[in-house]
Amino acid sequence: MTTSRRQHTLEVLVENEPGVLARVAGLFSRRAFNIETLNVGPTADSSISKMVIGVAVEGHSLEQVIAQLDKLVSVISIKDVTGKGKEVHDTQPDYQN
Amino acid sequence: MAHIPTANGTAMTGATSLVKSLEAADVEVMFGLPGGAILPAYDPIFDSSIRHILVRHEQGAGHAATGYAQVTGRAGVCIATSGPGATNLVTPLMDAAMDSVPLIAITGQVPSAAIGTDAFQEADIRGITMPFTKHNYLVTNPDEIPGVIAEAFHIATTGRPGPVLVDIAKDALQKMTTFNWPTSIKLAGYNPKTTPDAQAITDAAALIAQSSKPVFYVGGGVIKANAHKELRQLVELLVAPVVTTLMARGAFPDSHPLHMGMPGMHGTVAAVTALQKADLLITLGARFDDRVTGKLSTFAPNAKILHADIDPAEIGKNRHADVAVVGDVRETISALIPALKAALAKNQPDLSTWMRQMNSLKSTYPLGYDQPDDGSLSPQHVIQRLGQISGTDTIFTAGVGQHQMWASQFISYEHPRTWLNSGGAGTMGYGVPAAMGAKVGAPDATVWAIDGDGCFQMTNQELVTCALNNIPIKVAIINNESLGMVRQWQTLFYEGRYSNTNLESKRVPNFPMLAESMGCVGLSCERPEDLDKTIEKAMSINDQPVVVDFRVHRDAMVWPMVAAGTSNDEIMIARATAPDWDSQEL
Repeated sequence: MTTSRRQHTLEVLVENEPGVLARVAGLFSRRAFNIETLNVGPTADSSISKMVIGVAVEGHSLEQVIAQLDKLVSVISIKDVTGKGKEVHDTQPDYQN
Repeated sequence: MAHIPTANGTAMTGATSLVKSLEAADVEVMFGLPGGAILPAYDPIFDSSIRHILVRHEQGAGHAATGYAQVTGRAGVCIATSGPGATNLVTPLMDAAMDSVPLIAITGQVPSAAIGTDAFQEADIRGITMPFTKHNYLVTNPDEIPGVIAEAFHIATTGRPGPVLVDIAKDALQKMTTFNWPTSIKLAGYNPKTTPDAQAITDAAALIAQSSKPVFYVGGGVIKANAHKELRQLVELLVAPVVTTLMARGAFPDSHPLHMGMPGMHGTVAAVTALQKADLLITLGARFDDRVTGKLSTFAPNAKILHADIDPAEIGKNRHADVAVVGDVRETISALIPALKAALAKNQPDLSTWMRQMNSLKSTYPLGYDQPDDGSLSPQHVIQRLGQISGTDTIFTAGVGQHQMWASQFISYEHPRTWLNSGGAGTMGYGVPAAMGAKVGAPDATVWAIDGDGCFQMTNQELVTCALNNIPIKVAIINNESLGMVRQWQTLFYEGRYSNTNLESKRVPNFPMLAESMGCVGLSCERPEDLDKTIEKAMSINDQPVVVDFRVHRDAMVWPMVAAGTSNDEIMIARATAPDWDSQEL
């Protein structure tokens, strides 16, 4: 548990299907995780979208945020890119899986 | 995906494809109620080998499918129409999510062209159920039906079990398609880890061998994983105290000398204190629920945590784990047994003082209750006698409240899957429909629903279903004419101001007459001297459901109790009575 607010950026590959944004946004809402920024874009594979999520971790651990996100069947992979120079508008194709 | 159905490659409607898919998934029974949007599916259901049980309310279908799943270990299936039919499944889905039950819900949806228009009986059930389904689907293309059904069963029954909802648009059921049951399932985002890491097992064994006050904190995951035999081997290898949570009653025999009972808000003094004083919790398929931990910051303050769970998100969610083992708990325990043997060969801790302390608490503070002064029936006594007369092969279900806690305390559970209740969700009304599903899943077992008079009035309509479908369950209404647990809190925390907890159910309804009107045998018992013969009479009736109205004393309370939000150290064994800690060597 931490009381300080820490910013993290997660790069999340998801199935490109109806409702996937609601699944991710709903998870953050019901678990009281904070989304600071959210950007959704395509990848080279039309069946996969990429979300770049700015998370403010406060009270929860980042591990818990990632573990809960990973439980969503529509979420394919999660990468913590905090401080890796990635900007939240980055929607470059990403084949990491 | 054991076999390729003979119907593969055949042209048929989406509805027939749905039913062929359910057959291919080896469904033997489903609970449901038709309506407009799902109606196309009910035509091929008419010809199917699958037994369909027509319920009186969709909530009953959901809890029945859950009861079936809890008893058999297979996925339970319920089916409903769009809109209110689907929303009536919301509570069972939430219930199944909280208690990790493999439940499949099939719902009809309005035709795809009408979605989003506020059409008649339209509800966004996929959106509504996202928070408490493991996954859910909206199908508008009939070609996708077999693949989605196969995925739904795969997701519901593997990893941490859970509910999956499949919503199918009416036109997808009506259109023609070619049936094609998949030979394999590939889900990029779903790969549950079942085999634990070897290093984690080694670390876990070392941690156990170093401890001097270990406790096995056993949760419902042990029952889900069919790991009770392995658990007993592990426990008897270490010879340390065991506690079984509300969801784990039956995972370890109550009669076993190492069993300290149930921990938590209404746990035994020995079980609660074992956790509080332990230096290591060997946590197996449990999730540090607030009803177990009490005030989290004061829970098991000196204990290191070994946490084994199939769900990585449970690790560290409520309590930091010193050693985490992610995997199927049966595989985990199986791997832990030889690892612990090796660790104990190097360092055999002396647990004799710890066991003596725990056994002293267990013998000093057994569960108990007072007989009412006025000679009326004691609810605890009724429940205790039900357990003793019916025997340990009986399956018990419960509603939620005082009767549920007493049923968890005063019945001895010796086998897994004999105690079904709504643990995480606390769903009043779970008892009767869950018993119906349990009896369908285990037709040769005696199934008793122990229900409250409040709970019973929420879902008793399924007794009609039971009567008409030869599902002879037995229901014990513990009638204290109150919302008893709420009343208990009003007694303890609201100065006895009984706001809206008086149900007057000794006046209305007449439960035996209500039971008779639904095709059941209705019995009543009010005097202690009639108790055993009433239970025996109910036990002798096996061709009809039986309902017994046990008219019990109103003021009985559930003890011990750790008040909500307080520390487990504040456990009370009766009103304003704490255990005599000074007399205990701890």
